[in-house]
Amino acid sequence: MRSVKAIFVKQAKDMTKNFSVLIMFVIFPLVAFGMTHFVARGNDDIADTMFTTMMAGIFVGMALIQSACTIIAEDREKKSLRFLVIAGVKPLAYLLGIGGVIFVASLLSSLAFGYIGGFNRNEFVAFMVVMMSGAVASIILGATIGIYAKNQQAATGLSMPIAVILGFSPMIAQFNERIEILARFVYTQQINVVVNDFSAGLTQPLVVIWLNIAVLAVLFIAAYAKKGLRS
Amino acid sequence: MIKMDGIVKKFGTQTVLSDVSFEAKQGEIFGLLGRSGAGKTTIINILTNQLKPDSGSHKISVSSYETGLMLDEDGLYDRLTCLDNLHVFADIYGIPHKNSSEVLEKVGLENAAKKAVSQLSKGMRQRLALARAILHKPKVLFLDEPTSGLDPNTAQGIHKLIQGLQKQGTTIFLTTHNMDEAVKLCNHVLLLHKGKIVEQGIPTEICERHNATKTVPDLEAVFIKMTGEGLS
Repeated sequence: MRSVKAIFVKQAKDMTKNFSVLIMFVIFPLVAFGMTHFVARGNDDIADTMFTTMMAGIFVGMALIQSACTIIAEDREKKSLRFLVIAGVKPLAYLLGIGGVIFVASLLSSLAFGYIGGFNRNEFVAFMVVMMSGAVASIILGATIGIYAKNQQAATGLSMPIAVILGFSPMIAQFNERIEILARFVYTQQINVVVNDFSAGLTQPLVVIWLNIAVLAVLFIAAYAKKGLRS
Repeated sequence: MIKMDGIVKKFGTQTVLSDVSFEAKQGEIFGLLGRSGAGKTTIINILTNQLKPDSGSHKISVSSYETGLMLDEDGLYDRLTCLDNLHVFADIYGIPHKNSSEVLEKVGLENAAKKAVSQLSKGMRQRLALARAILHKPKVLFLDEPTSGLDPNTAQGIHKLIQGLQKQGTTIFLTTHNMDEAVKLCNHVLLLHKGKIVEQGIPTEICERHNATKTVPDLEAVFIKMTGEGLS
């Protein structure tokens, strides 16, 4: 617990000074705010929440994966992780500390999305539940990619295609039935389903998202067993 | 205190350590000398359990918590301040934050406490890395090329620190390719070449044994004495 707290505090301080990571948590709500106020609210053909839900889905699919894998890859590239492990920090404590900060940052961004979206109380709760569940999935996926990335450049190269597919698949699914069928099994699509129609219910999307989390956790454990954090 | 017995390590088909055996006693400065690629860092990596040997055994008579480590790659957090870098490890070890300030003073970085690590010179980074290594008052300290690339003045400052730590009873295991540094600091040295031990013992005795006692004028010492500063 002591190590988790130490890593959490370190990462929280570091993130406030790490512009390339910090921007990912700010830019998506900012774009959603701008598009909602200056485009959607002046156009009767566009739903007021359209840009909020679109940006929120892309944020979970892209920003969280990228930030998790970039942070881990940087710690490995600069050998900082080596000193933590030698000091007795267990891999799980390290990942909980890093993941905890990303989770809290994504909670703040999601609150901003929720505010911009102007949801009622029930919608807001459903929005937050589905966003934070998606955040858990993305953080685990980002950490798995981080294990395979030798450095930050490799992390970006590895994570970008996956993040783009996950972030944009709900949008593409709207125009292609086959992609929509495939996307149903992916957590980002389920987030999109919930935030675009709160009346459709939470149960089935949450089951799919948490099944995704279980699969990603197994993938992470396999990747960790094969590569470890320091290799 | 530190013992290696018949250690062999291969990377692929290349043998980097071949039947390496030695023993470092408590409270001494034990030097591992050799050119780059001789296998010095591999020995430290094995002793600190970062690498597993292919055969042989090794033992350190203290827990991993009681060891400190300074490597050529410092692993410092560039965006954090010097003090915050030390606080991370103080929190991990469960020691008070005031120890971080004390140790910064010890390495002469008290005025840079609030500076981001990215703004530090190489010498200051080395001193901060040393501060992190000694923060929890380890009984065994591993130093991998602690003065590599530093100006003579800064190197001398680090030498004094190392000697001070030895006086407090810390066992120091250092690698270097600087022979003068080894003669100046070490009680016992081990000469390593292409993964094999070629000689070991007390530095002056080794030199006498090989009729290699030199009397070369030490201009560097004269310069520092006359100016109070190093050659950088």
